[in-house]
Amino acid sequence: MKSMDIFEALMTRRSIRQFTSDPVSEAAILKVLEAAMMAPSAGNAQPWHFVLVTDRGLLDKIAEIHPYAGMSRDAAAGILICGDLRCERYPGNWPADCSAATQNILLALHGLGLGGVWTGIWPGEELMQNFRELLGLPDEAMPLAFVPFGWPASVPPTPARYQPDRVHLNGW
Amino acid sequence: MELFDALCTRRSIRKYQDRAVPRLAVERLLGAAMMAPSAGDARPWHFVVVEGLDQVSSIAQALPHAEMAKSAPLAILICADPSLEKFPGCWMLDCSAAAQNMLLAAHGLGLGAVWVAVWPFEDFMKGARRHFALPEGIEPLALIVAGYPAESVPSEDRFDPSRLHFEKW
Repeated sequence: MKSMDIFEALMTRRSIRQFTSDPVSEAAILKVLEAAMMAPSAGNAQPWHFVLVTDRGLLDKIAEIHPYAGMSRDAAAGILICGDLRCERYPGNWPADCSAATQNILLALHGLGLGGVWTGIWPGEELMQNFRELLGLPDEAMPLAFVPFGWPASVPPTPARYQPDRVHLNGW
Repeated sequence: MELFDALCTRRSIRKYQDRAVPRLAVERLLGAAMMAPSAGDARPWHFVVVEGLDQVSSIAQALPHAEMAKSAPLAILICADPSLEKFPGCWMLDCSAAAQNMLLAAHGLGLGAVWVAVWPFEDFMKGARRHFALPEGIEPLALIVAGYPAESVPSEDRFDPSRLHFEKW
């Protein structure tokens, strides 16, 4: 499998919304999910669950129930990242924990030459309900984001995003 | 450092050497944080950088759970300006992705760092607002405390197949 320097990964990752029809190996998907579970979490509670969706019918359905997840139609697969309120040690922190896991997923995909995009679900009540019904989530599961992924059909160039005006040195 | 090594060996580091973090390294941490994705690419983040043992250790008075700040040479408060959002209510996710990028970048530079949660805990948010004199409307998400590590925390395998579901929960 490919390898990439951590800074190259951090600085060149982009949201990928167009995919080729090539399949993604199980080994690659496993590596991405492993990376997700290595994220930090408050009290190391690891309050997350992941639903891997590869079924074409379900991916098409997700494109219908989420206005910004249309690219799921062309994605090889997707990962639903959920918080689990039963696992929290510091209640309320799960969106931060699951966001760190989601970012690990995006970086891992990029490192493997794959690409994906974070389509937000939480805090949208209706979107959360749509995913709950479609994928059979229990009530305690909080769908945070869906990441459709695959082999990039095109890779956008890396923009410069450093904004010095957002940095406050030794006081705001 | 290779990406998967970084992802899989990063741990929270809470003990630091008495050695300043060079400004260039601080800029690389900030640069990595600002490459995080954000809803609608709104990048609603701001960063308050605190350097030097005295300045950093005083943070522990405002945030009692940031005990490790008492001996740290560097801390960065990650905040959001929700008025910059295109999709309101996502800033805590955007800033969390930025925080995770920062932790990975720190690990890649041989630094050790820890994410001290501020959001969504009202007391901590209040303490941070006051201590850092944040302007009205600015929301603190997390304090990243960092330095050259004075402890080594072995990597742990967190893979848990029971957290994985195929096609449906």
